[in-house]
Amino acid sequence: MSQKGDDFVKMFKRIGTFVLVLAVFATLLTGCAKEDSHSNADGDSVREELILAIGSEPDDGFDPTTGWGRYGSPLFQSTLLKRDNDLNIVNDLAKGYELSEDGLVWTVSLREDVKFSDGVALTAEDVVYTYEAAAASGSVIDLNVLDRVEAKDEYTVSFTLKQPQSTFVNILAVTGIVPKHAHGADYAEKPIGSGPFKFVQWDKGQQLIVETNPEYYGDKPFFKKITFLFMSEDLAFAAAKTGSVDIASIPHSFGTQAVTGMRLEAIESVDNRGIMFPFVPAGEKTASGAAIGNDVTSDPAIRKAINIAVDRKALVKGVLEGFGTPAYTVSDGLPWWNPDTVIADGRAEEAKEILTEAGWIDTNNDGILEKNGLKAEFVLVYPSSDQTRQSLAIATADMIKPLGINIIAEGKSWDEIANMMYSNAVLFGWGSHDPLEMYNLYHSKTAGEGYYNTGYYANPTVDSYMDQALAATTEEEANAYWQNAQWDGETGFSSLGDAPWSWLVNLKHLYLVNEKLEIGSQKIQPHGHGWPITDSIVEWRWKE
Amino acid sequence: MINTTDTNTRPSSGILTMMGLNRRQRTIITTAVIGILLLSIILGGLLLSNERITTNLEARNQAPSFSHPFGTDWLGRDMLTRTIKGLTLSIFVGLIAAAISTIIALVLGIAAATMGNRVDTIVTWLVDLFMSIPHLVALILIAVALGGGMRGVVIGVALTHWPSLTRVVRGEVLQLRSTEYVQISRRMGKSRWWIAAQHIVPHLIPQMLVGLVLLFSHAILHEASITFLGFGLSPHQPAIGIILSESMRYLSVGMWWLAFFPGLSLLIIVRLFDILGDNLRKLMDPYNAHS
Repeated sequence: MSQKGDDFVKMFKRIGTFVLVLAVFATLLTGCAKEDSHSNADGDSVREELILAIGSEPDDGFDPTTGWGRYGSPLFQSTLLKRDNDLNIVNDLAKGYELSEDGLVWTVSLREDVKFSDGVALTAEDVVYTYEAAAASGSVIDLNVLDRVEAKDEYTVSFTLKQPQSTFVNILAVTGIVPKHAHGADYAEKPIGSGPFKFVQWDKGQQLIVETNPEYYGDKPFFKKITFLFMSEDLAFAAAKTGSVDIASIPHSFGTQAVTGMRLEAIESVDNRGIMFPFVPAGEKTASGAAIGNDVTSDPAIRKAINIAVDRKALVKGVLEGFGTPAYTVSDGLPWWNPDTVIADGRAEEAKEILTEAGWIDTNNDGILEKNGLKAEFVLVYPSSDQTRQSLAIATADMIKPLGINIIAEGKSWDEIANMMYSNAVLFGWGSHDPLEMYNLYHSKTAGEGYYNTGYYANPTVDSYMDQALAATTEEEANAYWQNAQWDGETGFSSLGDAPWSWLVNLKHLYLVNEKLEIGSQKIQPHGHGWPITDSIVEWRWKE
Repeated sequence: MINTTDTNTRPSSGILTMMGLNRRQRTIITTAVIGILLLSIILGGLLLSNERITTNLEARNQAPSFSHPFGTDWLGRDMLTRTIKGLTLSIFVGLIAAAISTIIALVLGIAAATMGNRVDTIVTWLVDLFMSIPHLVALILIAVALGGGMRGVVIGVALTHWPSLTRVVRGEVLQLRSTEYVQISRRMGKSRWWIAAQHIVPHLIPQMLVGLVLLFSHAILHEASITFLGFGLSPHQPAIGIILSESMRYLSVGMWWLAFFPGLSLLIIVRLFDILGDNLRKLMDPYNAHS
């Protein structure tokens, strides 16, 4: 979920970044000159520093117990497990893990040679402390399912769950371990960990400087020092043009521009955009008084017609300048994705037939269909600060108009959307390496919970598949259930079944990368532009 | 805040002088021409169909051409149509805001001049206070406090543009009150309302009209500015500030026409309103009217 932006703060940040960029340019100009003379003197031209402008700064700092490291590498900390480039779970801090037969107890054994960057050894105590702190913080990390975590001995930890949850493995893969002895109030601003890098300096709103952690147990990163600049995408693009950054994350509208000395890396992602339809008819209200449901979008014919009529390839080409792929589910291309959900789209004629069969007919010749006096018209809200979503909303609305469905695209702030999202269609973006996201979006239990399942979608068959997926003890077994929840041949939450969403596109994440910089192979990136690229940071080096 | 423009520097005046017209006639003609121009833009904005601003992904990012004089944007929408619609919305917002502002100025100005020293002090202090804060800052604060959107902008602009006109109104009323005919009416036992209606209001109407038109250009400009900065109208509204702020993202890609033509159009409209206001003042001001 994108962060709610406070526009006011943003403006000042923008001004701040601008000043910073000027300063950086100035220092780089002088810095480069110095470096050249230096390398001429002793013949050593290998630069071991990188400057990256790859995304926004984490508002809450660098504390994994409050959410840092969910996207990309936690840099300073390391995790028990991690996903390799093919998204398989592999060991990191762990030597291995076991799951009890009832799926309730996860036992993880730790490496014994790991030290935090301050030289203190990492033990089971720290792991227990991290998970207890994360559970207590009530942050974005959902540890409700965790009953207790215990240290069996110095290097063995056991996690006991309240009920089986196969996706717990993902929590083990994204939660960086913090040191119990050094996890104070200012930890988020001065993190210490066992990751590949150690913290040097963070100037809020400006930059983060990190250096290699000499105590790191894994492969040492090639680059000794990395500076992350926090600047808007336009400024990052400008900086890339002048050659003052080695990697810049840029919006797709800049992707068509060639920049000398930089190459464009378009990395596949499940950072998807789609339309959430309220699934139930209007009438109810949430506890906070927001209206639930929509009489138009609760008609399956409307949702199905939109799903097959929208031309996803045209959206990718037109709105994303080709830097994207059509999206059919929330998890395209991931191991738990059901490839049967790919549908042929752009079928306007069939969509019209579906609508006519369902009784939607234009009785008053105003170009908009009616059914029992109800106009086929609904509002589609998008966060006004996001131009990609705006373009997708407007383009989709115009694409659907010829069917006789009038979609009114409206830009709102996240605060306003939070109030409107139960009764209006919303252009959301999701995409995670954790299948639990699917559960959250489509399970009847999460209806109305925050930004999850705001359409109050409910299908008992889908619920039961997803419950079984959580209860599964192996990933293969779980994945089979996840796939059935999407489409089992008869029902499911994909567009073949109930179609509570119309997924539109998966964005490709664009980075301008220094021509000489090798960034290794990239896995399919999750939601959140920028940081995910740091996942492979240890593999980065200069090309020979 | 009131710009005085010398009539002779106006480009149209050369031709009109050659046609043997005197200054008053020339002013009337320019005023009429400007009025018609502005009116046609408003009508254009209201009457133009939405067909040309539906997305047309095939025709996106086109440079200005014969079929799209202002080019097209990244969704293939015709920029000329968007600009005219945007200007119409801006004029509409400006009109409401300027009208509210004028009413505030009128009420406060008259109150200051007629309701005694204490009220006068308060109003003068308020005027000084508002004039000492930069318009844009006050405007942003008010618009943000009201949650942005159309309402925020209109109230924000209305609440920040009244001070100078209030001063003018206050001065005018003070001066009128001390004139002989008002003094005589009072001695003859006419009621306060009668004096206000018969003597004061007729003098204030021209001031108000001119003030309204001159406020107008400021209101439009400020509406566009705060919308541009992201505190104003929502991006789904076809406002000129939205068009300009959207175009910023595309400037570094070389799509200059997205900002150039709408910006130029805004400039021209604002300037036209300014000239219109100046002309109205000249026509109505007794010292200038007959020269």
